[in-house]
Amino acid sequence: MSEAPSIALNRSAPPARDAAAIASRKGRRRDRMRRLGQMAPVLLLYLVGIVLPYVALARMSFNLYDPMFIFREMWSLQNYADIFAEPYYLTVILRTIALGVSVTFFTVLLGYPLAWKIARSGPMMRSILLSIALSPLLINLVVRTYAWLVMLGEQGVLNQGFSLLGLGPYSLIGGWFAVVVGMVHMTLPFMVLSLTSVMQSLPDHLLEASENLGATSLRTFTHVIWPLTLPGVGAGAILVFSFTISAFVTPALLGGGTVATVSTLIYEQFTYALNWPFGAAMVFVLLAMNMIMLALHALLFRTGDS
Amino acid sequence: MARRLVDLTTLLVVIFLMGPLVVIIAGSFTETPYVAFPPEGFTLKWYQALFQRQDFLESFIDSLLLAGLSTVVATVLGTLAALSIARKGEAGREFLRGFFMLPLILPTIVTGVALFQFMRTSEIGMALLPGNWAGLLLGHTLITIPYVVRTVGASLVSLDPSLAEAAEGLGARPSRVLFGVIMPAIMPAVMVSLIFCFILSFDQVTISIFLSGPDVTTLPIRIYNYIEFAIDPMIAAVSALLILFAYVLVLGLERTVGLNNAFGK
Repeated sequence: MSEAPSIALNRSAPPARDAAAIASRKGRRRDRMRRLGQMAPVLLLYLVGIVLPYVALARMSFNLYDPMFIFREMWSLQNYADIFAEPYYLTVILRTIALGVSVTFFTVLLGYPLAWKIARSGPMMRSILLSIALSPLLINLVVRTYAWLVMLGEQGVLNQGFSLLGLGPYSLIGGWFAVVVGMVHMTLPFMVLSLTSVMQSLPDHLLEASENLGATSLRTFTHVIWPLTLPGVGAGAILVFSFTISAFVTPALLGGGTVATVSTLIYEQFTYALNWPFGAAMVFVLLAMNMIMLALHALLFRTGDS
Repeated sequence: MARRLVDLTTLLVVIFLMGPLVVIIAGSFTETPYVAFPPEGFTLKWYQALFQRQDFLESFIDSLLLAGLSTVVATVLGTLAALSIARKGEAGREFLRGFFMLPLILPTIVTGVALFQFMRTSEIGMALLPGNWAGLLLGHTLITIPYVVRTVGASLVSLDPSLAEAAEGLGARPSRVLFGVIMPAIMPAVMVSLIFCFILSFDQVTISIFLSGPDVTTLPIRIYNYIEFAIDPMIAAVSALLILFAYVLVLGLERTVGLNNAFGK
């Protein structure tokens, strides 16, 4: 495993050099075999669980729908052509992007002050706020979505509050508003985490220098803090965006069927509509959206990557 | 002025984050047929209703079994994989590390769909994954392995390599080095992985929704199917119990290894 013993041998007994070299080469080969043995189970698992299923899914996207047998085997680009020719599917793709962008925007808006508070507080306050920011991650996705169904429903907490003011009831579920609120709640911890890690490494003397030179708080923010925390915003944004465009439980339940996204469409194609070839093609649209986002992020934050 | 604005927004965000959880827990004791906040009266009837539901009980046991099994498999295999790429300067190390992270990078819904279809149309898939249990176990193991590789891998990086070399120099066999030197040093990371995988698997929705079936339905999917049609306080009761369960697990994590070790570097 290590070269140390063979080096010691080399020094003390020159004739043993060849033997030591052979032994070390043999040892290295044995080492490599052992490492291969260690990773083999995971590699095998990924082959069965990722590589083969994804290849099968790619193959499926070139088949065509058949009402009798679900699909007919062939090599056709029809499914992809349909996605880009039908205005409905283009609307769904645009709506998915818009949802990702709005949710990302609100997580920055709400996450930034909280992350700042976490990064700049004493140890006690910091751990309290951090556990509050992270605790939604511990709660099941379905439970959190249910919580928002309860909050926003006709007899929900928000409407109970409105009725005290003599307003409402408003039907808040089944639309864009409910989906955005729910998704922001799901993804805010990711944004807070990546913002906090950048803010904690922000040196105090920079802020002091800015203040001493007479900058207003606003100017310190726009010219010092914001540019320096931008990599954290970028890292958080990519997490939140990918999570949002791939989510389907929250849009399906809180959207009440009115907010169709690429993900809810995929779910429907595979479980209700049973048009697997088309659903498979949609999957690769979703993957492409993720790839484009990653590439965009790499392009924008090439220098500030940490 | 700016500070006060930050304080105010922080307070609002904290309410936004915790509000729904508080409402659910308090609302599970309400006497009204809907979740009222503050709850009207106090009753345990929703918990009683829950405990009489055989299907929810079965799903809870299924979820426990599945999470337990996949946690053990993922932690053992993930720790082995982390050991295999621990040595610095080996060719292909970065590539392998990236490859091991795949289930985390790929959207979970896509992995769920891919497995769903693979089990039904491919002959290999049908042979290897003959039922919902096999599919769920594979799916849950897949999505938790990256966390094990990352957590254990990080702890291996901070391990002083001269320790293992000293043991070898003193003539210890590789298995002795592994169990006598390396394993004790990475044990906290393995413990963190165990609890983390359990939480992830127990809460997993996206993969399970495609792979659950008549013979096994996990608890989150049971709840999902129920709230598609009704949102009565019985679900608030099961939610409150799940929230309690999650906090107990985290408390266990904090007791065994400390939260800073778990979520820190």
